[in-house]
Amino acid sequence: MWDRKSKWNLVLFAAVVLLLISSIVFLWMKTNTEVRSVVEEQYQNQQLLLTRQVSSSIERTLNERVLLLEVIANKDTGVPPDNFRSDLKSVYDVAGMFYVVEYVNEDGTIVSGYPEDNVPLGFNLYENKQSRAFERVKNTGQVYITDPLRLMEGNYGSFIWVPVHEDDEFRGAFIAIIREEDLKSRYVVASNSSNYAYLLDDRGRVLYDESENYERGTSYAEILGSDSSGLLDIISKQVNGTEGNGKYLVLNNGTVVEERLVSYSPINWYNQKWSLALTSPSSEVDRLIVSVYLKLFIVVAVSVLFIVFVSSFIVIILFNWSKSLEQEVDEKTQELKDSNESLRAANKKLKELDRLKTEFLSIVSHELKTPLTAMKTSGEFLLETEECDRSLRKKMLDIIIRNIDRQSRMVDDLLDISRIESDRMKFNKEPVDIEETIKVSLEVVDTIIRNKDMKVAVSVPDDLEIITTDKDKLVQVFVNLLNNAVKFSNKGGTIKINVEDETDSLRISVSDNGIGMGPEEVEKIFDKFYQIDSTSTRRVGGSGLGLSIVKGIIEGQGGTITVRSEPGKGSTFVFTLMK
Amino acid sequence: MQAENISGKILSLMEENPDITIKEISESLSVSEDLIEETLRKMSDARQKILIVDDEMDALLALKVALEAEGYNIVEAKDGYEAIDTAHSENPDVILLDLMIPGIDGFEVCRQLKSDPVYSHIPVIMLTARGEIDDKVEGIELGADDYVTKPFNLKELKARIKMILRRNQDA
Repeated sequence: MWDRKSKWNLVLFAAVVLLLISSIVFLWMKTNTEVRSVVEEQYQNQQLLLTRQVSSSIERTLNERVLLLEVIANKDTGVPPDNFRSDLKSVYDVAGMFYVVEYVNEDGTIVSGYPEDNVPLGFNLYENKQSRAFERVKNTGQVYITDPLRLMEGNYGSFIWVPVHEDDEFRGAFIAIIREEDLKSRYVVASNSSNYAYLLDDRGRVLYDESENYERGTSYAEILGSDSSGLLDIISKQVNGTEGNGKYLVLNNGTVVEERLVSYSPINWYNQKWSLALTSPSSEVDRLIVSVYLKLFIVVAVSVLFIVFVSSFIVIILFNWSKSLEQEVDEKTQELKDSNESLRAANKKLKELDRLKTEFLSIVSHELKTPLTAMKTSGEFLLETEECDRSLRKKMLDIIIRNIDRQSRMVDDLLDISRIESDRMKFNKEPVDIEETIKVSLEVVDTIIRNKDMKVAVSVPDDLEIITTDKDKLVQVFVNLLNNAVKFSNKGGTIKINVEDETDSLRISVSDNGIGMGPEEVEKIFDKFYQIDSTSTRRVGGSGLGLSIVKGIIEGQGGTITVRSEPGKGSTFVFTLMK
Repeated sequence: MQAENISGKILSLMEENPDITIKEISESLSVSEDLIEETLRKMSDARQKILIVDDEMDALLALKVALEAEGYNIVEAKDGYEAIDTAHSENPDVILLDLMIPGIDGFEVCRQLKSDPVYSHIPVIMLTARGEIDDKVEGIELGADDYVTKPFNLKELKARIKMILRRNQDA
């Protein structure tokens, strides 16, 4: 089916398409990777900023609280008589996050504190073998903060030891306890499910983990390290007290479950060196990219739809426009064709008219010249032959006179035709008796009727009234029709004239039983100079104008004339005459 | 045609028997004595014969009278068919042919006569009321020997006839 060439073309086409598609995919993937790395970097920076903000906020808060205690601990006035009770109360109120603040005198006995309900007054540290931290503070003169310890009430809290001096003399220490849950409630805001925070101390032990699914004081690396590739690096950096970003893979039986992005920032609280970390799955980045892509896609889709809509609208408008143009062109073309056609028809008609005119002139000239020929020949003969016998002389003169009559009849006919054609024919209306008119007409044609031994039957209603019409013209009509009937009849034929009375007109028919004519001839019978056979080969004489004149006279007076004819059976002319 | 046949037969009979009477000829050919006499009269007519073809009776009559007075033997035909038949039977010396005649027109009559080798020698003078050049050209092309426009000058026509007859005799 495929010839060799088109097969190669197909292969080439497929190769080009594949190349294009793969290059587009490659470019898209490359772009996507770049975008992803950029977004990831941005995301991590944002996360780091957040982490730094949170950790510094925590650090500041904690340090400020300790500073409050240090301020009263180093007052110049020494130990007040109420053993700092009122000072501790105000510190407690101002700090707002201490569980309790207490004062231990230089003997290691808790002598005052606030709120009183939480203070075990008279509790001696030495007696209860809890003097280690007290001793440390006494020896170093520095603030000491313990790791979170189990409180007597059962929960955990950090103990803040602040030495109290009076003129460089050790006068005991303040103990303030910040419960873990108070700290948490202050900083752990409800985070969304994908983010995750944890807090480590400077030995990599977990202080807080959002899952709270850990054993207090265990190494964070031990909890997650085995399932998390890359986490150990991050923890070691956190332990060093630096801040930064990292990522690790969460594994489950050796397969990667997810990648997490970690941002960490240190919290330095006196001797406690903590490191706060916020983590989020890298799928978050993907989600972000996808959401960006989705928005982009929506924008593109909407734009494309809009463009498609607008352009299809334009296309439709243009299409309709071109269609209507096309239609218009078609209409105009049709109009042109029509007008061309009518022009052609008019031209044809004009040519036909011109031909008829030429023919008319030719016939008229023939009809006028023929009698002249006879007259001239006869005249010249008489002129030449001075001595010719009487009968010959009479014969020639008869010819001359006869042809003069013929000529003048011809001229009369031509004048009639000319009047009819220019609508100038005048009708002198007078009261006319039809029967008498027919009689007069028959007298005119009496000779030719008798020459052919023809019979004439006239039928006129008895009570026929006198009508008003042009008598001479009516005689002319009858004479012409009778002449016509005689000419186209055989010897001994019959002519019938029949008059019928209709309400406002007469219906008159003149029929013969002569040679008749076919339908094509009937059509042309009233044309000027039309005679059966062509003009140059006619069998009977006559100008050929008689029937045209009849038609002109009848129609000029508001009547109609028709003819019925059949070859071999004769013709019937029927005309109407207004009363 | 009949007359021609008879004339040939009469001649052969007279050759066989120079003393044969009209009655004997009539009997042997079984035709009327009148016809024999008429045929013999025609045969002995030494006048030159002119066939006039015209449907206009008056024109024909006037021309006939005028030409008979000149001493021509005139035969006439009123339409195209009659013209050809008469030309065949009478074998005229010249034909005066009107163009506008019933049946077949003058051009066709001329064409038929001129295309027949037996009759093509007969000179034809066309007579017509039309005076157009085209008609003349057509007439001459069809072999008409001359062309006279109606109404003609009788002297001129007679001169033309004479000239044509002389030309034919010389040839």
